[in-house]
Amino acid sequence: MRYLRVALARIAGIFTRNRADDDLREEMQAHLEMETAEYIRRGMHPDEARRQALVASGGLTQATEAVRAQRGLPWLQSTGADVRYALRTLRRSPAFTSVVVITLGLGIGANTAIFSVLRGVLLKPLPHREGDRLVYLRHSIGGPGGDNVLFSVPEVRDFRDGARSLGGIAEYSPFSFTLRGEEDAVRVRAGLVTGNFFDVMGLSPVRGRVTRAADDGVGVPPVMVLTHDFWRKRFGGDSTIVGKQVRMEGKSVTVIGVLEPAPYFPDRVDAFLNMVISEHHTSAMMVQGRTHRMTEMIARLVPGATLEQARAEVAAVHARITTEFREAYDPGSNYRVAVIPFREALGARAQLTLWLLMGAAAFVMIIAAANVANLTLMRGVRREPELVARAALGAGPPRLRRLLLAENLILSLMGAFLGVVVARGGVGLLISLAERYSARANEISLDLVALGFTLGLSLTLALLLSFTVSLPREGAFASLISAGGRRTSGSLRKQRLQRGLVVAQISVSVVLLAGAGLLTRTMLQLSQVQTGLRTEEVLTMEVPLLELAAAFVPGADAAAKERYGRMLREVRALPGVLDVGLGSPVPLRRSQVRFDVKAEGKALATGEAMPSAELRTANPEYFRAAGIPLLRGRPFASTDERGSAPVVIINRTLAERYFLNVDPVGKRIAWTGDVLRFTPISDEWRTVVGVVGDTQDGGLDASPGPVVFMPFTQMLAIGGGLVIRADSNVARLTPVVMRVVRGIAPTALIENVMTVAQIKDQSVSPRRLNAVLISLFGALALIIAAVGIAGVLAFSVSARTNEIGIRMSLGADRGRVQRMILREGGVLLASGLVLGIAGAFFATRLIRGLLFGVEPHDPVTLIAVAGLMTAIGIVACWIPAVRAARIDPAITMRSP
Amino acid sequence: MADKLDVKQGTLALMVLKTLDVLGPLHGYGIARRIEETSRNRLSLNYGTLYPALLKLEQEGCIKGEWRPSENNRRAKFYSLTASGRKQLAREAREWHETAELIAAFLAPRRGTP
Repeated sequence: MRYLRVALARIAGIFTRNRADDDLREEMQAHLEMETAEYIRRGMHPDEARRQALVASGGLTQATEAVRAQRGLPWLQSTGADVRYALRTLRRSPAFTSVVVITLGLGIGANTAIFSVLRGVLLKPLPHREGDRLVYLRHSIGGPGGDNVLFSVPEVRDFRDGARSLGGIAEYSPFSFTLRGEEDAVRVRAGLVTGNFFDVMGLSPVRGRVTRAADDGVGVPPVMVLTHDFWRKRFGGDSTIVGKQVRMEGKSVTVIGVLEPAPYFPDRVDAFLNMVISEHHTSAMMVQGRTHRMTEMIARLVPGATLEQARAEVAAVHARITTEFREAYDPGSNYRVAVIPFREALGARAQLTLWLLMGAAAFVMIIAAANVANLTLMRGVRREPELVARAALGAGPPRLRRLLLAENLILSLMGAFLGVVVARGGVGLLISLAERYSARANEISLDLVALGFTLGLSLTLALLLSFTVSLPREGAFASLISAGGRRTSGSLRKQRLQRGLVVAQISVSVVLLAGAGLLTRTMLQLSQVQTGLRTEEVLTMEVPLLELAAAFVPGADAAAKERYGRMLREVRALPGVLDVGLGSPVPLRRSQVRFDVKAEGKALATGEAMPSAELRTANPEYFRAAGIPLLRGRPFASTDERGSAPVVIINRTLAERYFLNVDPVGKRIAWTGDVLRFTPISDEWRTVVGVVGDTQDGGLDASPGPVVFMPFTQMLAIGGGLVIRADSNVARLTPVVMRVVRGIAPTALIENVMTVAQIKDQSVSPRRLNAVLISLFGALALIIAAVGIAGVLAFSVSARTNEIGIRMSLGADRGRVQRMILREGGVLLASGLVLGIAGAFFATRLIRGLLFGVEPHDPVTLIAVAGLMTAIGIVACWIPAVRAARIDPAITMRSP
Repeated sequence: MADKLDVKQGTLALMVLKTLDVLGPLHGYGIARRIEETSRNRLSLNYGTLYPALLKLEQEGCIKGEWRPSENNRRAKFYSLTASGRKQLAREAREWHETAELIAAFLAPRRGTP
């Protein structure tokens, strides 16, 4: 009750301040006069009496302050004043303010943006029910491209029967369809799944239902579950979608539900269907072919089972089947199965890049904070006279501390505000980056936790900074004032702290620059990789006319080929077109079809892996149009048609594999393997008629694998693509060619319309984005570090003005003074460089996986980085050194 | 001068209340004089100690001040005890006595300890 009363009285006190001050002055004046009168009454001289009374009062100003502190809410009131003072002070030093705010803003912004992505992609809880129990099984073999060879249905069956700790095993197989709408056709990326898929994944529908066991097998109607994104984009979030029919692959499919938003795994897909939609997936080849691997396995651990248990059981099953079915697991290929926690599998590719960016951003934050700390420390020392003056006017240490705190808080908040602006832009940019790596990019948003974190960080920084500046000690004012208020020293200890911070900045910058340099070199190396095509003036587009489902309808294949023939003729007639080829897939795209391949008269050594090759198709003009060099033999001819002798063209890699030192032309090869039984492709011997150069079909950073080309005419016309070469500026042909194709096939799907330059760029761009981002961080770090060195030296010079003046009047010339300051900076620079290079040695090893064509310890990069840092560092030292040399001893010594 | 005591925290309020109880309405100077005299000049009150304490008592409602002409015809603020101030004085005086007795008992030379 009493406290409440006091509180109310205090609040009231805020508003009656002026009158209360007047009253108090009068009250104390009366007190003083009464006391004076008393002293006079005792016989003192009036002047002496007044003096004694004043002494006894203990200071009217101090008393007024003490009463004011009791009267209102002094903390609140003086905070207002502090903020006003702080704003005024900051306005008066715009350079300091903007450097600090921009530095903090960039640091906070970069950190928030990247942490948002990191959280969205790697750290956020999964929507999957008990997602911690989900595991992903990965089947790998040795050699390039063998990271993930998927499973065959018989293998899935073995694991389902043999691994008891896996409560449910769901199958998933990627497929793509053409979805016919009213007017257009779109490519739908879909996952064909078993009925238990959603149950195992722990995902629920937001509308309708998901698949169930009754949807498995043949003889059931095809059903489709839409992903949340696709439902919104393609169907506008149609609330009556459930139960509707859509046409795909010539079949009618019922939409049974819409899935809740969830990360895309294993692939980014638009919809999930049951297996019955694809004749292939219910065929004997799929169901019985042990080496026909195109199924992903996701499993759920039974309650109580551990990851280790699952791993042991999976290993046991794998060991059993590899001995039981020797022919399906040639020992040279080193088949193995890994059991990976789902969360890890989900973020696997994103992890390294994101942690790299997070690390870089954290580094920038560290040096930004160091810079802010340094600037504030120096400013604190420069402000000593001002603080002394404030103290002399009655501001106690807590009050001064609060003033500093207000300034630093305002700076931090301004920095944080700028940071939010930067982060908003950054998140947008990073989402496009993350989409390449992660299934969870759709979950990224500017993260409030991240924002809170960085805000907290900046507030902590503000607090720390406010307490690193030492305040004039109470009682020491007099000596400080009499020192003339011009004493800018900064103790040795403090300078040591500043220097340490500068060394840290330099070394961190060096680490960042080394990373940036390596990634830039990676990008350059990659863009210099030859695609294998002689020219970039090539336009490619995929125009699949024949759907797999309709491929065996009598006449369909011939009709498709006739339409392709018309397209080729009409496109070739266009002005500017040099050559037009037809084949599948188009150059620089990986073929989805690969089989084992053998050569006549070549036996495998024991333990040697059976080579497999990509199957591609081409018409006679394909190689010329694409600019793929013919190394030996001849291209396909129009006489290589259905019914004539089977011929193939192989690429250089396959030629070197099988026909080292002999001319492959005229030799015979054949497809081989169990799987062929289920395909329309025969295992007859085929004569090699030509050898062509390798092309980078798997991206610029993948080494080319063996390829066998077969004549387009000898194959079903599935997945045809046009290859168009022009004399110059091939991109301008795009609309004309599209018009021609549309004229012949009005509703056909036209996909991946890209020039070779664009395909190449697509392969380089993720690396380029890495390089650009890290280089930006590096540049930022460099600038901040340069400001740091220059600032510390400038401060050192201004603190030593007197000393330098004395040196010069004793005969030191300008050059000597300049060298002295340069030496001071040089020591900092050298220490930073040494530490930085050492740090880079460790740090760059962590990003080995992101590099291409360059070693983590690439000496060229490290030397270049050291050179750049030294150059910038020397420039940063030069400015204060020159200023020191301009000191006029006469003026310096005369001033107090 | 040198051996003057500082006023202990919390005791000043009690002294002010008692002074007003004994002498009736009084201005700040009078209160200070009375306390100094009662302490036989061992305590000295500067304004920075006295006036915040008076303000606090006023805020707590123990005393109230009003402007009146002083003995030498100057306007001065006279403080007087309120009803709740009287209660407060009684309570604090009792507590103080108890504490003092307790401390005295503690500090008394110990005799006949077993």
